[in-house]
Parts: sequence; C-alpha cells; structure tokens
Amino acid sequence: MATGIRDKVAILGMGCTSFGERWNMGSEELMVEAFTEALADAGIERKDIGAAWLGAALDDVNVGNSALPLAFALRLPPIPVTRVENMCATGTEALRAATYAVASGACDIALALGVEKLKDTGYGGLPLRTKGLANDLWMPYGSAPGSFAQLAGAYARRHGIAAGDLKRAMAHVSWKSHQNGALNPKAHLRKPVAMDTILNAPLIADPLGLFDCCGVSDGAACAIVTTPDIARGLGKTDIVTVKAIQLSASNGWESQHGAWDGSYVRNTREASRRAYAEAGLNDPRAQLGLTEVHDCFSITELVTMEDLGLSDEGRAPFDILDGKFDREGELPCQIDGGLKCFGHPVGASGLRMAYEVYSQLLGRAGARQRGTVDFGLTHNLGGAPFNSVAAVSILGRLG
Amino acid sequence: MATKSIKGPNSVKGLGAYLPLLRLDRQAAAKALRWSGLGGPRNGRRAVAAFDEDALTVAVEAARIAVRKSGPIAKVVLATTSSPFTERAQAGLLIDALHLPAETRCLDVAGSRRAGVSALLDALLAGDGGDTLIAAGENRPGQAGNALHLAWGDGGAAALVGPGDGARLIGHASLAHDLLDVYASPAHPTPYQSEERFIRDTAVAAVLVPAIGAALEAAAVEAAEIAAAVVHEPVSGCYKAVAAALGLKVPNLAEAVTEAAGDLGTAHVLFALGLALETAKTGDRILLAGFGSGCDALVLEVTGPVAGAGAAAAALAQGLGFADYVRFLSLSGALSLDWGPRSELEQKTSASVLERYGRDFTGFIGGRDAGGNTQFPKTRLPVAPDVEAGPMTDVRLADETGTVVSITADRLNYCPDPPFYFGLIQFPGGARVLMEVTDIAAAPPAVGDALTMRFRVKSADRRRGFRTYFWKAAPVARPQLEA
Repeated sequence: MATGIRDKVAILGMGCTSFGERWNMGSEELMVEAFTEALADAGIERKDIGAAWLGAALDDVNVGNSALPLAFALRLPPIPVTRVENMCATGTEALRAATYAVASGACDIALALGVEKLKDTGYGGLPLRTKGLANDLWMPYGSAPGSFAQLAGAYARRHGIAAGDLKRAMAHVSWKSHQNGALNPKAHLRKPVAMDTILNAPLIADPLGLFDCCGVSDGAACAIVTTPDIARGLGKTDIVTVKAIQLSASNGWESQHGAWDGSYVRNTREASRRAYAEAGLNDPRAQLGLTEVHDCFSITELVTMEDLGLSDEGRAPFDILDGKFDREGELPCQIDGGLKCFGHPVGASGLRMAYEVYSQLLGRAGARQRGTVDFGLTHNLGGAPFNSVAAVSILGRLG
Repeated sequence: MATKSIKGPNSVKGLGAYLPLLRLDRQAAAKALRWSGLGGPRNGRRAVAAFDEDALTVAVEAARIAVRKSGPIAKVVLATTSSPFTERAQAGLLIDALHLPAETRCLDVAGSRRAGVSALLDALLAGDGGDTLIAAGENRPGQAGNALHLAWGDGGAAALVGPGDGARLIGHASLAHDLLDVYASPAHPTPYQSEERFIRDTAVAAVLVPAIGAALEAAAVEAAEIAAAVVHEPVSGCYKAVAAALGLKVPNLAEAVTEAAGDLGTAHVLFALGLALETAKTGDRILLAGFGSGCDALVLEVTGPVAGAGAAAAALAQGLGFADYVRFLSLSGALSLDWGPRSELEQKTSASVLERYGRDFTGFIGGRDAGGNTQFPKTRLPVAPDVEAGPMTDVRLADETGTVVSITADRLNYCPDPPFYFGLIQFPGGARVLMEVTDIAAAPPAVGDALTMRFRVKSADRRRGFRTYFWKAAPVARPQLEA
C-alpha cells in the first residue's frame, strides 16, 4: 500500500530568476541565476548534489535535448542528470522526480531546475510544433488560446451562464493577477490594468481577449530538496516539506470517446483528489492558505477553481467576482501575479509557482505576504483541456 | 468528322454539383482594378475556393451527391486541368475519399476543358455494363489583371453513367482542332489568352457549328427541337452566333453558370447539365457541347429522372458573397502575403506513414470496438473504457452528422483565411474527433449544433509541393445568396 511522500522530503533552498524579455541572457545564464539563488538559500555546495533533473519543454527552441545543458551550465559533478518534459507540467515534473529520488533514498540531495527561453523564438504565444507524422495527417493545429477558449462555451452552456457574465468573471481573473503582479519585482508585467481595458481588448480566440491570455517569457526556477533530517542537520529550523505531488494524464477519453462535456478538466480533478489525500487535507478550502494555479488563460483559472474543489460547481464566476480569490480574499490565487504577469516559460512555470508558495510559507513574500500560511497548492495544466496533463503539488511546513 | 447516331444502353443516371461557399462580386473586383484599365467580366459572381479546397476536393463533393443513390461503381474518372499533382493520380484519392473498393478501375483525364465531356461521352458509349462515375473539378490559378482570373470559377460536377433510364445518348460528334484560344503550361501555369474576337470567330465557325451541327444530324434532331442547350463557350457571344447559324431556339444554360459562378473548366458542362435535367421532361432532347482543343457535341434524350440534378441550381443559389478583392487575390494564389512565423510550420509527409494510415484518413474510416463504440482513429486498444482489445471493424464517419462539443475561432493560429475554427465534434456511435471547422458563413456554430463533413486539404507543404487531405466539419446548410 503506497504511503505517499508527505513530509518525506524537505525543500532546502529555492531560486527564481526575474521573468521577462531577458534579451541579454541565454538559457544557460538563466539556469545559473536561478541555481545560484537556490544554492545560497540551501547553504550547501554544488558537490553535495546527488542527482539533478532538468525541466525543459520545447527542447528544439530552448536548450536542445538531454539534460547535458544543465550539467554544462551548472558545471555539475558527474552525477545522474535527466531531462523531463510533460508540456506545461514540466517544471512540476522535474520537482516530482527530484522529490521521489530523495524519498526513495536513492540520493540525499537532489536538484530540480526548469528553464525556458521563449522570447528568442520570435513568436507571440507558444511556437507551433508538429504533432507527429501520423497525427499531422488529421489533427488540427489549434493554438493554445484556441484550445483553452473552448472551455468557455462549454462551461457557459453547462451552467447556463450568460456570455457577458462569464466574460466579466474572466476579466476579474486577469485584473486580479495584474493587481498582484504589480507588487512582485520578479514578474514580467508589473502594471495594474483597468477592467475596461481587459474587457475591450481584441479577441485572440473567442471569447478570450488579449488580456485573458498569458504571454510568453524567459525564466528559470530551481529547487534543492533533501530529507527533513538532513535539512535539520544543515541548521534549518523552519522547514518546508512536500506534502504531495500528483499527476494525471489524459488517455484519449475526453477527446476521442467520453461523455465529457468540455466544461471542466478531468485530470485536474483527479490529480487534486489524490494530492489532497496524499497531503492529508480533508478540507482544502479551509486548510489551504493560497494557490498558484495554471492561469494560462483566464477561463482556465476560473474552471480550475471548481476542478480543485475550491468553488462549488457553477459558482466559480460568482466567487471570483465576489473577490474570494483576490489577494485579500478568502483564498488568494496567483498572489504573485501568476502566469498572467510572469508569462509562461513552460519548463520553469511549475517551479516558479512552488517558489512563491515556498516564499509565502517562510514569510519571505514581502509586500505580497499573506500572513501565516500553512499549506499552499500549485497546479499545472499541460496540453489542452481535451488532452491534458495536470499536476498538483501541495507544500507546507513540517509537522 | 466522326458523327454517329446511337441508341446505346447507358444513360446519365446521377448528377452532382458543388461550388465553394465564397462568391466574389465581380463588380467589386472591377472597381479595385479600375485605376489600371485591366479587368474581366463586370457582372455576376465568381465562385472562389476556400483556402482548403482544390480541384480534387470540389470534385469529391460533387461526386458524393452523384453517387448517393448508386449501386456498385465499376470505374471512376477524374477530370481536371488544375490537378495539384502532375505525378500522383487523383482518381485513386477520389476512390478512397468515397470509400469505394480499391479494385475499382480509375483514370485521370486532363489536357483541356473538354476532358469532362469527353469522359462523359466515353462512358455513355461504353459497353461493359457497369456504372462509371465521372467527377470533374477545377481550381485554376490566375494572375491578377488577367481577364480569365475573374471569368473563371472554382467548382466541381459529377455524372454517374450506366445502364438504365435517365438521359440517354442519341447522337454525338467530335472534332479535334488545335485552336490556340488559351493555354497554360508548367512554364506558365496561369492562363495566356489570345485575342477575343479571333477566338470567337474561329471557335464558332471552325469548331462549334460543325461539331454541334453534326451531332444534331447524327441524332436526327432538328435544332429547333432541342429543349435545353449546354454549350461551353470559350468567350462570351459564341452561343449566340452558333444558335443563329444552326437555328437553336433555347438559351444556353452554360451561360447561367458562367454568370453566377464562373467558367468551371472541365466541370462546366456537367454542372450546367444539372440545370437542364432538373426541369426536363421525359422525351426532351438536350444538347451538350464541350469545348477545348476541339469539341465533343452530344445529344441526350431524357427517359427518366436523374438523381442529384437539383444540386446545380441549389449550389448556384447558395453561398456567401464577398467584395474584398485583396482577400480574393490571396485565396486564389495571385497575391503572396507574409503570414509570419506561424505559417512556416514544416509538415513533411512520410510516405510510409501515409501508406499505413492514408486510406483510413482519406476515407474518414474509424473503428467499432467489441463493445459497439466507434472511435477515430482506429487503435490497438479501444479508447472506450472497459472494452476488451481486439480487431475493430471499419466505420465510415464521412457521411455522418456530427455535433459540436466545443469550438472556438482561433485568431492566433495561422490560417490563410482567418479565423481558424476548430473544436471537438461528436459522432453517433460514440466517436469524438478534434476537427477543423470550415465554411463558416455568418454566426459560428455553437455547442450542440449539427455539422456535416467536407473533404478538404489538410496540409499544404509549400516547400515540397505536397498536400494531404482529410475531412473537416462544416455547417449543414449554407445561406441563400442575395440577389
């Protein structure tokens, strides 16, 4: 019987670059920047790292394949290094691998680093990839906003919500993140945006307007994990542990068969259900102090609030408009500004979210600090709602 | 000249006609060209292929109508002068798209606008007893400013020919004549046209009048007895002169197609034959004349109803008018816009992958698992939960009506005629497919709306000159064109 990883792994240190148009830096420099902060935070030396995982999603426009770019950039000792890729869940996937390595006893200290350098591609939005030689023969090439926009119509139909009401709730999601991002020195976009500007922006994929979409960005984030005992031995007293990391991937049920109506994301529901159980959270609405969810698009965050069980079915638009997820609300979401203000360097985003939760748990979040936080949740959603990989992690303090 | 009176066993038994959704208002094009003094026809409309249509796709759509009530088909012929391939048979793809047996005999014909009528004549004269499907389609390139760019149109037509009642051949004549009225070549793929008065005078006197006159004689029918005429004119005014010379009393239905949709090349006469047969009575005699490097003239006698004949008039009446000349130039390939990095996606088709999946994808053949659930594509393990693995039986989705599960208008993704619509489509039997949605006329489809399947170009590899085909979902009904 699996016992899960709750409290078996501590986060010893984390680092995160500022995200944005980092024209003067390549992936290598971004990796070093995040790693340098994490190493200093952890209080260890590079030689202490026993294994490393690199999260990089778009290898052919980022660092290239394999994990060698990580070993080269950080000048790691000759330890096992592995590259992982699971679309937008890539950063969390790297953290999961490093965490599992420590939890298994395979190594004492492991590194997870996610990086993506998207601005160099010259694309607005994610660059387009082929889907494989056979799928290319029949599968459409929708963009990311196009794939996620379809949640909106299906959600509105399922819950009988007027298009205008949904649009206003979506706009509040983006407005909130811009309010929060303005307080974060590491965010890409650091200006509040007026509600009217959001509502009247040009359409990208109906009904998503420009401000309903996160942008692309450059960035890296890094975590160094170990056991709680080793962390204590290194002098750590306020120890953040991994309470759960769960993943769920589509098998074709949504896009090829299911009774799924397109209004929710089954994998988020499944991953969060298992994560709550692993973390021992029986009332996440009351127990979670904050969430960092995959707000690639405003409608994604809205639907995710229900998929995570943090809003009742059909109530997320009203909870959002009531300010439940605002910085000062009952359960803040994207207190750091989210993908909306950080942009989405794919491989880095999951670890960037963990960095914010880690910072909040340790009371280091400065102007954005949300009092005392016991548990924080991160959520990534890779692919498209009809063909997704969802990752949910829960971090908290030891004890 | 070869003429023959014949009472053959074969008739035209089925017809199909298809036009793209879009119709360019020629007056708007003329207005855009006014500064230059160039132009073409000023009146009527021109059918314009969508970005994902070509000569094969329009021929397939017409053929689907023509064979709707057919039995087994022995042979298919694809006629076009604008095949996207010069070395890759399109008729074979037509067989796959219609999900006909791979053993069906097939043939591509080309070389002149007359090819469609020539194939029709051959099928009517054939004595092997089987049904032949002739499908014609055109999507001819044109150069902006060339008069034919506006005079021609994109579209398809098809005829099913075999034993039985319908429209029976009672006389015909053929004439080969290398009249240089217009030509296109690999070195000059857009049409180069000779002076119009020369074309008209020569075509009438040296080609049309002799051939049509001989066909009437072979059929032993007086010109005044012809109930409907379909004469493919190389330039306007030819039929008027032919009718005057021979004593034809009826209007030329081919002109109506030219006016409303443009000259459809190999499909033109078959298309206009639909107009004639929709209203024809038993015993009516119909004159057909296919023109191009000579002429094939046919006289048909109506012996019974022809399935699908109404599709031609319906296609002319439906559509979406537009007046944006720049959009037309782009869609017709006369203007190369820079669509940016998203249009640079490389899609090189693997021959072995196409060999494995091509027939299923071209025919939109999914599978039915042991539990009775359908899915697309077929897989070793069924997507339906709790169903045992096992061989799947073929199930064709192309003729099913789907419903929208989710949809969006994507304005970020590259599309040569934005926005790019795509979404999840649900089929009867359980199959659900992520599909492009095409031919949106006004309000886009909503969740729950019904969609029909259309055979379209899936991808165009411009670098290597290759294209693949798949099916897209489209609104079931098209709007009526405003007068």
